[in-house]
Amino acid sequence: MTTTAAVVAFDQVSKAYGSVRAVDGLTLSLHPGETVALLGPNGAGKSTTLDLLLGLKQADSGSVRLFGGTPREAIVAGRVGAMLQSGGLMDEVTVAELVRLACDLHPRPYRVSDVLSRAGVEQIADRKVNKLSGGQAQRVRFALATAGDSDLIVLDEPTTGMDVTTRQAFWATMREQADAGRTVLFATHYLEEADAVADRVLVLHRGRLLADGTAAEIKAKAGARRIAFDLEGAIDETALRALPFLTTIDVSGATVRIQSSDADATVHALYGLGLYPRNLEVAGLGLEQAFVAITAAEEAKSL
Amino acid sequence: MNSLIKLELTRALRNRKFLFFSVMYPSLLFLLIAGNADSTTKVDGTGLTLPTYMMVSMASFGALTAVLMGNSERIAKERESGWVRQLRLTTLPGRGYVLAKTASAAVVSLPSVVVVFAVAAIAKGVRLDAWQWLALTGVIWAGSLVFAALGVAIGYLASGDAVRPITMITYFGLSMLGGLWMPATSFPQWLQDIAEWLPTHAYAALGQAIEQSHAPHAQDIALLAVFFVLFAGGAAWLYRKDTLKA
Repeated sequence: MTTTAAVVAFDQVSKAYGSVRAVDGLTLSLHPGETVALLGPNGAGKSTTLDLLLGLKQADSGSVRLFGGTPREAIVAGRVGAMLQSGGLMDEVTVAELVRLACDLHPRPYRVSDVLSRAGVEQIADRKVNKLSGGQAQRVRFALATAGDSDLIVLDEPTTGMDVTTRQAFWATMREQADAGRTVLFATHYLEEADAVADRVLVLHRGRLLADGTAAEIKAKAGARRIAFDLEGAIDETALRALPFLTTIDVSGATVRIQSSDADATVHALYGLGLYPRNLEVAGLGLEQAFVAITAAEEAKSL
Repeated sequence: MNSLIKLELTRALRNRKFLFFSVMYPSLLFLLIAGNADSTTKVDGTGLTLPTYMMVSMASFGALTAVLMGNSERIAKERESGWVRQLRLTTLPGRGYVLAKTASAAVVSLPSVVVVFAVAAIAKGVRLDAWQWLALTGVIWAGSLVFAALGVAIGYLASGDAVRPITMITYFGLSMLGGLWMPATSFPQWLQDIAEWLPTHAYAALGQAIEQSHAPHAQDIALLAVFFVLFAGGAAWLYRKDTLKA
């Protein structure tokens, strides 16, 4: 393979458990230096996708390539550091001992003290691994994933169990990794994390890729904008429903909330009805609402 | 892999409960059983005094404890916790985990054998030729590999909750029926017939043959070899199954 091989390349990858298709004809590629978020509701196939990527599971069909080779080859070459959601730790050893093991096993290790400080676990270096809180254990897993000079870092739900402050510190560390030119792939169900951190967002649903783009593109794809206003007097919902480019409408009391794929045209038509909306607000959808809209549209299609 | 062996050892040596059971307990049991025995009574049909006979039994028992108890439970727990998966994301070769576990168990089993010997020689005046001491150490140590393989197999067979009872039943069953706690010659005939086919019986018989200045019986060696192939094969098969399931 040439040196321009994609960091990760999935080609028509499928994996089923019995009759459940966890990953269904997934094709995607990641490029050097990208920070990519993998989003999806529970059961969307995120963890299976990461397991296939890391060679922990074998695909039923299709091919998974890392740096042009197999996942195992990439791991043996020290090109991949990974932090699993279910990544247990060896207990009854200290944090420092465990990190030293990870450094020893990496072909291009960093110094143990550097790894400890970067992951923010220096203060607990002498603590036994089985005495850690959930958030501390997550940071130790992160230390293990970054024990050496890897090109790709894979994180499955990395901030689960962390409080808000620790989470922010974690992402700051993560950004340093990305700035150093590494490719970072993380699965998360915190959409604000994907929005704030990722250059690229992959939306996975029922094992298939529903959307692939920047957070802004995903929001645009979702039907984009949200319009809210109040109306005085009786509300003629039928007339409102007929507004152009309207995708959803919700009327509660005097307040109307509309999602529209073309907010300008919708608002123009609203005035055209002779109505006088008060407190008019037009705003972009958050990634979370975009995500819900995309997956809901897909659910509706499959029914 | 050496770093994992080192860490496994550090951990084993730090665990006092485990050290007590694998290193001290067999010696204490030896003193309890052989303590009041005079040094002239012979165990039926062996020509060995009770302390001499029990020394080998307890050394074998100690080695069995060290290699069986620690590994099966740890492997089952670490499979469940996901540590085994995490290790698969390192350069450590697939078998490295099992080999490191076995190697560290072997290091712990050596002192448990030697301590029983020392206690028997000092407290009960057991005397053997230098070559016999060396051969005993070597044979009991090497023979413990059979049970190390069994420990690994149980660790991959059982889940976290079931592993302890399964290990305990196997451990006590093999120890008692194999005649490690009392000479099998004191069993009723039908039990002796069963005991003869147990790996623990063959294991202790190797050591006793050395004490009698015999070469070990071919049947015992063959029996142990068959069990080793069985346990190691089973462990390898279960390991592969576990890896595919991940």
